[in-house]
Amino acid sequence: MSGVRIENIRKTYGDFVALSDISLDIPSGAFFTLLGPSGCGKTTLLRTLAGFHKEDAGKIFVGGAAIENVPAHKRDMGMVFQDYAVFPHLSVADNVAFGLKQRKLSKSDFLERVEEALTTTQLNALASRMPHELSGGQQQRVGIARALAIRPKVLLMDEPLSNLDAKLRLELRQELRAIQQKMGITTVYVTHDQEEALSMSDIICVMYGGIIQQASTPFELYNEPTNKFVATFVGENNFLSPHALASAASSKSVEQFQLLGRVPNAMKAVLAIRPEDMTLELGTDKAVAKTSKNSTIRLSAKIENLSFLGRDLRVSAVLPNGEGIFAIAHPTPDRVKLRKGDSVIFSFMPEAAKVFEDSVTGRRL
Amino acid sequence: MQASGGFSNSHFRMPDFWTLMIWLTLLILFVLLILPIFGVLSVSFIDPKTGNFSLGNYIQIFTRPYYLTALSNTLLIATLGTLGACLLGVPLAYCTARFVIRGRTIITTLAILVLVAPPFIGAYAWIMMFGSNGFITNALAMIGINAPTIYGLPGIVFVFSLKFFPYIYLMTETALNAVNKSFEDAAENMGCTAMQRFWKVTLPLVFPAVSTGAIIAFVLSIADFGTPALLGRGVRTLSTIAYTAYTSELGGQPSMAVTISLVMVMISMVVLLAQRFFISKRRYASALTNRPVKARLIGWRNILAHTYCYAVVAIAMLPALVVFYTSLLKTRGPVFIGGFGLESYRRVLYDAPEAIFNSFSYALVAVAFIAIFSGLIAYIIVRKEARISGAIDLLLMVPYLIPGVVIAIGYVVTFRNDWFDITGTATIIMLIFFIRRLPYGVRSTTTNLRQIKPSMEEAAVNLGASPQKTFLTITLPLVMPGLIIGSLMSFITAINELSSTLILYTARTITMPVKIYVSVIDGEFGTAAALSSILLFSTGLCVYLVFRISGDKETSFV
Repeated sequence: MSGVRIENIRKTYGDFVALSDISLDIPSGAFFTLLGPSGCGKTTLLRTLAGFHKEDAGKIFVGGAAIENVPAHKRDMGMVFQDYAVFPHLSVADNVAFGLKQRKLSKSDFLERVEEALTTTQLNALASRMPHELSGGQQQRVGIARALAIRPKVLLMDEPLSNLDAKLRLELRQELRAIQQKMGITTVYVTHDQEEALSMSDIICVMYGGIIQQASTPFELYNEPTNKFVATFVGENNFLSPHALASAASSKSVEQFQLLGRVPNAMKAVLAIRPEDMTLELGTDKAVAKTSKNSTIRLSAKIENLSFLGRDLRVSAVLPNGEGIFAIAHPTPDRVKLRKGDSVIFSFMPEAAKVFEDSVTGRRL
Repeated sequence: MQASGGFSNSHFRMPDFWTLMIWLTLLILFVLLILPIFGVLSVSFIDPKTGNFSLGNYIQIFTRPYYLTALSNTLLIATLGTLGACLLGVPLAYCTARFVIRGRTIITTLAILVLVAPPFIGAYAWIMMFGSNGFITNALAMIGINAPTIYGLPGIVFVFSLKFFPYIYLMTETALNAVNKSFEDAAENMGCTAMQRFWKVTLPLVFPAVSTGAIIAFVLSIADFGTPALLGRGVRTLSTIAYTAYTSELGGQPSMAVTISLVMVMISMVVLLAQRFFISKRRYASALTNRPVKARLIGWRNILAHTYCYAVVAIAMLPALVVFYTSLLKTRGPVFIGGFGLESYRRVLYDAPEAIFNSFSYALVAVAFIAIFSGLIAYIIVRKEARISGAIDLLLMVPYLIPGVVIAIGYVVTFRNDWFDITGTATIIMLIFFIRRLPYGVRSTTTNLRQIKPSMEEAAVNLGASPQKTFLTITLPLVMPGLIIGSLMSFITAINELSSTLILYTARTITMPVKIYVSVIDGEFGTAAALSSILLFSTGLCVYLVFRISGDKETSFV
């Protein structure tokens, strides 16, 4: 198995910068996910690794060896495609064998590897079927088996689950992760689905505008986003201006001033608070103030909309200055009864608020 | 190239397989297409007497009455022929697309047979029916009726209308089947009568398709040589005077023939560009969410619709039937001596075996190369997103537009020089077949390849197959249906080619269509009929194969 190092990779299409000096270190055996919205450059980066297009500048090392000048068919990277790309004119077994036929293997080695790949992906029973007889999920298993069979140095996956239905996606997600861990194969996985990324990866690399925004463990990414884009894209967040905080807080507490003190230039920053960190309290501030802890910051708001999601209740409201705010709360009977225009209090601990420069990719302050 | 397997970091790389193929394709197109066309162009600007540069040839065409008459005749015939084809084709398409017509497949098949039948067979079969000595003319004369003559301008327009309506029919029908029913429902809901609905909603929606079919009919009418040559009788068109000019200029520079031909090309181009411009603002993309339904007509309307559909294709098929029937009659020279017999077939097998042999062998060799290059060029056009592929795609439109006469003269100008001369050889005819019919193969393969996701090939490369190997083991098997259909289409059109071979043939390299043309001119109707029947049956067989392979997709033919 080999680690991958990417140094200053750059790729432009005319004036459009698809990849802007990307540098990354992917440890050997890691499940490394490229996460971002469409057009962020994640697929371009994956395809550059595969050798499907040539980077304008930069270096790629696999297991220490530079591969920029190695043509795609000699890179030894197994790729799994979003649209499966299972060869329709070949049987399941022949699809799996395709890559092995390009390598000089002894007959017994060859058969053993086909068998092994089919077993890993639970396809043995379907070996002689043609692709059109398979479901989407089965076809993608063939795609995975085919890529594993060549025992690649690196496994590349381009949104492999996005064409499958929700239930199957969940199932295959766990299975893929299990196979990857068992084989210890370095994997680069592209997705726009943050839940998928969070649940599978060792390291997630969030990309936007051809630039790496943050690369870290899923836990760190969620809890310590280093810029506003990551805070927006991974999980949900309330973004409140200091102005909203100043106007909506009914009691000007010490904590509030301390929090605002963390904002260097008060009006050019935003505060991000996760909706699950928001506590919803009914009634007006005076009634609530007596019962709640002193260190919390309380904002009075008027209910805008409720959506009942079964396990959770999503409560959206509007602050006095017109900014929106929402919380994920437990759906108790009196909360579900809330109507548009009712007065409520949203409260949160000052430590839960993170301060960012107010721009799309504004840094953490 | 890299040493096998391991990663090495060399800066020297051989141009890869596809780069080589792109250059090879460009070289072939340059030598076989661009060079001859520039040859023709340059000849048109040379004064035949002095050999100097001059616009004199063009000035002559646009000033001298002899040429102006031919020009106006050509425009008139092409316009009226196209109009006639629309008048036959659009209602036919409407009937089959909107009403339940029994035996719709028969109608479509017959329309396609009309489309692929040798173009001049129509003209000469109509002569046998309505010519000066035609059997219908004679029969009508016996009961004292003066039959309308098939000769002259109305005759040519009539034959063109019946010959070219299938293009309009097939394209319009496909478009009608793709019009969301909701549009027509909405029109009806807002109070349109059936007639208003057709004129205000349905026809405008399918107009791009109708106009594309009409352009094909127009361009082919301008380029058609056989029909006006046989039926003209004093009505000169550009294609006939170009041929006359060429034969009288033999030995010298064919400047006039070339100039006339280029004027034909210019007319086609202007019309094509005008149509492109006109429909560019009229593209109505809509998802086919609500498929049109065919209404079941009752009573006299039903009878009328069926009669119309069958009458149109039956009349259009009449020439082929007449030709086949004639081929079974006993003849002595131009005279039918009564009774049936296979003498005509025996005679062509003895007298003109080389024509049959040449036609098949030239077409087969040309198609073999077309098949190989169609695969490669289609891949370059679809997969190599570069300016060069766009240029190749555009260049391959050229053979559709350039009449055979022009290419043939271009080949004579280019390939007969001080160093070598391949005019009069079989090679030149095969090269012409190749370049003129290559677009059919490429187009069909391209359509097929566009439906195959590029990830198929990427997967193969990713798994370690070289670009060449990927093409052979993945791309080629997947585009095989398109490639075969394209090759059959190329074969059908190559075997029926007349206008270019008429200029290039020698006694040794005569082909069936040329032999038929010569026989008709000489009055050898029996020979012509037998050869035409052989041609018709070969063509019909190919059509059948295309049907089988494409799963009944009549759109493969337009």
